[in-house]
Amino acid sequence: MSENKFIGAPVSRIEGALKVMGKAPYAAEFPVKNISYGFPVQSTIAAGEITAIDTSEAEKQPGVIRIITHENALKLPAGPPVTNANRMTRANPVLQNNKVLFFGQYIGLVVAETYEQARYAARLVKVTYKAEKPRINFDAFAAEAYKPEVINAGYPTDTSWGNVADALKQADVVLNETYDTPIEHHHPMEPHTSIVLFEGDQLTIYEATQMLEQTRQGVANTFNIPKENIKVLSPYIGGGFGSKLQPREHLLLTVMAAKMLNRPVKTVITRQMMQTNVGLRQHNRQKIRMGADRSGKLLALAHETVTHTAMNEEFVEQTGVISRMMYAVPNSLVTHRVFHTHIQVPRWTRAPGETPGSFALESAIDEMAFALKMDPVAFRIKNEPEKNPENGKPWASRSLIQCLQTGAEKFGWNKRKMEPRSHQQGRWLIGYGMSSASRGAPYREASARIKVSNKNKAVTAVVEMAATDIGTGSYTIIAQAAAEKLGLPLENIKVQIGDSSLPPTPGSGGSWGAGSYASAVAVVCEQLKAELRSKVNAQFIKGPSVADLMIAGNIKEYESTGTAKPSAGMANYAHFSFAAHFAEVWVDESLGIVKIPRFLTTVAAGTILNEKTARSQIMGGVVWGIGQAMTEESLLDDRYGNFVTRTLADYHVPVNLDVGKIDVHFLAEEDRIINQLGAKGVGELGITSVAAAIANAVFNATGKRIRQLPITPDKLL
Amino acid sequence: MKPFKYSRATSVSTAARQVSANSQAKFLAGGTNIIDLMKEFVERPDELVDVTRLNLSNISTLAAGGISIGATAKNAATANHPLIRQHYPLLSQAILAGASAQIRNMATNGGNLNQRTRCAYFYDIAMPCNKRQPDSGCSALEGVNRMHAIVGWSNQCVAVHPSDMCVALAALDAVVKVQGPDGTARTIPITDYHRLPEDTPHLDNNLRSGELITSIEIPANNFAAHSYYLKVRDRSSYAFALVSVAAAMELNGGTIKQARIAMGGIAHKPWRLTAAESFLAGKTATADNFKLASEQALQEAKPLAHNAFKIELGRRSIVRALQMALGNII
Ligand SMILES: Cc1cc2nc3c(=O)[nH]c(=O)nc-3n(C[C@H](O)[C@H](O)[C@H](O)COP(=O)(O)OP(=O)(O)OC[C@H]3O[C@@H](n4cnc5c(N)ncnc54)[C@H](O)[C@@H]3O)c2cc1C
Repeated sequence: MSENKFIGAPVSRIEGALKVMGKAPYAAEFPVKNISYGFPVQSTIAAGEITAIDTSEAEKQPGVIRIITHENALKLPAGPPVTNANRMTRANPVLQNNKVLFFGQYIGLVVAETYEQARYAARLVKVTYKAEKPRINFDAFAAEAYKPEVINAGYPTDTSWGNVADALKQADVVLNETYDTPIEHHHPMEPHTSIVLFEGDQLTIYEATQMLEQTRQGVANTFNIPKENIKVLSPYIGGGFGSKLQPREHLLLTVMAAKMLNRPVKTVITRQMMQTNVGLRQHNRQKIRMGADRSGKLLALAHETVTHTAMNEEFVEQTGVISRMMYAVPNSLVTHRVFHTHIQVPRWTRAPGETPGSFALESAIDEMAFALKMDPVAFRIKNEPEKNPENGKPWASRSLIQCLQTGAEKFGWNKRKMEPRSHQQGRWLIGYGMSSASRGAPYREASARIKVSNKNKAVTAVVEMAATDIGTGSYTIIAQAAAEKLGLPLENIKVQIGDSSLPPTPGSGGSWGAGSYASAVAVVCEQLKAELRSKVNAQFIKGPSVADLMIAGNIKEYESTGTAKPSAGMANYAHFSFAAHFAEVWVDESLGIVKIPRFLTTVAAGTILNEKTARSQIMGGVVWGIGQAMTEESLLDDRYGNFVTRTLADYHVPVNLDVGKIDVHFLAEEDRIINQLGAKGVGELGITSVAAAIANAVFNATGKRIRQLPITPDKLL
Repeated sequence: MKPFKYSRATSVSTAARQVSANSQAKFLAGGTNIIDLMKEFVERPDELVDVTRLNLSNISTLAAGGISIGATAKNAATANHPLIRQHYPLLSQAILAGASAQIRNMATNGGNLNQRTRCAYFYDIAMPCNKRQPDSGCSALEGVNRMHAIVGWSNQCVAVHPSDMCVALAALDAVVKVQGPDGTARTIPITDYHRLPEDTPHLDNNLRSGELITSIEIPANNFAAHSYYLKVRDRSSYAFALVSVAAAMELNGGTIKQARIAMGGIAHKPWRLTAAESFLAGKTATADNFKLASEQALQEAKPLAHNAFKIELGRRSIVRALQMALGNII
């Protein structure tokens, strides 16, 4: 690994200059001739039926081209029932009936000559409803929670081994607590955007999407268009965090409008629609029961989650899965239950499952360590599992202990006093907290096409793949992998992604993007080199480079397309990335104000493909974790089902002043199983368990244990 | 947004006449509030009269002592003006505690006085709101009301005035100078400028039709050495106050000659704490007396379902602001 020249190097983003100069076009920024503008009409009730829609006044307004509602919408075939497998790609017919299932549901699209005209007219559409009392309040309906057949990503709903009830009776110390994490929203900077353009039977879509292929398939299935006729372009994306993983309804509305009007249509949704129409992280109520013996051995762990989903679709994030693998637990029970509400369907939100789940687990572990009077780092190390406790599979790589030890040392953990309130400075109570973090490390099949050319002995390469860069650094990592494996300078590599007509990839999601893209590039580079070697009939003193071969064989152009796949043996191992977080907090107790001047994270995620972009990913995750811990919460009005935190002035993401120094350390780790390059994901690891480290530090500072996020001033008074 | 006519006012009196002649017309200053509200379809003027080119941005000392601050002076320029920094640091601090640097660079003092509540139900046109649409009901009264009023509210409206600047102005006994369409000028004490909701929550203040704010005047005082603006909020900056306190004292040795305390985030207008002020007059400036003073405050508070914490937080904030004003806390 260490002899890598490009892979791992902290290379700045190769597209960075374009972005800061405003020259990188995002989905809304493609000039299209004769464009018209769509603006959605939204329901103002959460449950019931539309009894009448009066568009007469809206239609009279200057510039209005058409108002599409369920009354005049294109008739579409009903979609299949939603499953984990088809969730992103199934036919998802919009505007087919008068039912309202959540507040803010799109019930129409106004198309006009300008954006402002469309927006104005949308507000003049008068809708009459037969409203029902919506099911919103968590406490009111939680008792109805049922056992779903399966949860997100195909994880089993329930797992158990041993006997938790008996083990809890045997335990010297028992903990039984409930943790609540609120609804959160993704809020990427760039709003969701579609431009849709039909040319004959060919359809071009400019869309802010993490997943080109799924977007294409979803549109194809919904409108019965051969997917070969659809091209999805998404060269630059201003963040997604899971909210841009599937073709959302604004895109389907825009396709419908473009088809009906025979004219290109562009729809950019508002920040308010980003609360109501592109998914959310659901409120999770997690009950943890834990038992340990005096020596600090965990005897039992039960992690039972209740959450909500929409009326028309079941989506359950894998909140408890982290409790299945983190510690050596001889008696385990992990369950998920869900109930239906008139709240929009939840969606993958950065590290779905592990983010809320790790808050509960890692808070509870801290509580248990305190009850045992044990150092929480030592307590964790004592319960390190040799194999994945869930299935006995060996770890492909697991360096959690190294993360904990290195982190503790670099942070100065030994200065922490176990007793809360023992460190005071003026009006500030100072506390230290920590947590272990983990996130599944998926790796997926991906393809690439590599074209090399030789112009007067200057050899350059173009890498083409239907990959996306959601601000994570894909462009750069792909270029680094190609430069490394082709033996060419980085600036001789051109990366072409963000186009669904290029060789397929799994897109950017689930932290598999970077590893899958880079492995595909590595595999295809090697394939290309081998092919060239067999073509060139020359002797070389040492192993020839791609450039040597091109020049020696006088080959002007050569291309190779290939695919990297998970190895057959991969499934025999457990694949996870690990980290440890350490937080220092200062609490001004009389006003409930918390500062986090210092946060330190140690990460072991196999080969780090680019130390700079990886660091940014982890830092971004930590910042979001600070948001989860301290500020982020989407509030609903139970009577109406509307969000009252509708803007970024109400939904608080952390500001610069909330974020102190974030120190990220990557530990060397070799993983020979996961993929060609030994790279595990880092995108979601960074947020996992951050909130627990902070809440644990707040406890250490004040003696107050906050089990309901976020930790706003009122909760500390 | 609704199509509207835009014009640039060339004189105070024509601006006032233009707006008074059209009930659908509004003044436009920095636009940081009204344009937002127009995009949300909360405000639907059909005419905007831009007042930023009027010559109303001066900040200067008054002959009789005190200072005059122009209505169209930017919030940022006001907060950073040497005269304000030196003589009215409380005002500087309060302005700088509000919004963001970008917004303060656009926002004007007149616009700040007249900015509308941030109540989420006021902003969401799908929701009943008496302030936006009289007689439609108050959604916040029994809704999500953590950010709302604990004093001075009515069943018609529980919204709070969001300004930080105005809280400092209330503590400093500022007056608002306005001019009407017929050219008549009036002076309104800041504490009488904003209204309580009572049965007319759609009225935020006591301006008459077409009246334009021309300046704000603050009398000379001896508070500069001992004043502090404390804002407690859900994140470190760029958030509206849960509660805020503008505290100022004039000291004679260790004795408080006079004190001024106003609060934000708790009412439909900046809230002067006169009982606590008179308690402090003549007392020594000690933590104990600050605590006793804070107990005089907010006796009239009637919390809503989600904001009872504001009473205790408010009292603690009063104590802290006074301590900070005294300068004896780390
Ligand atoms: C995201 C965000 C966060 C914010 N946070 C804070 C905060 O924390 N604290 C805080 O105090 N403020 C905050 N603000 C509000 C900000 O201070 C106001 O928007 C600003 O002061 C309004 O000034 P303006 O000049 O832009 O007013 P405009 O938007 O131009 O006008 C506002 C109103 O005042 C009227 N008006 C303007 N000038 C005059 C005049 N001379 N005479 C009569 N009427 C007039 C207009 O007709 C309009 O009704 C925030 C704003 C935003 C957008």
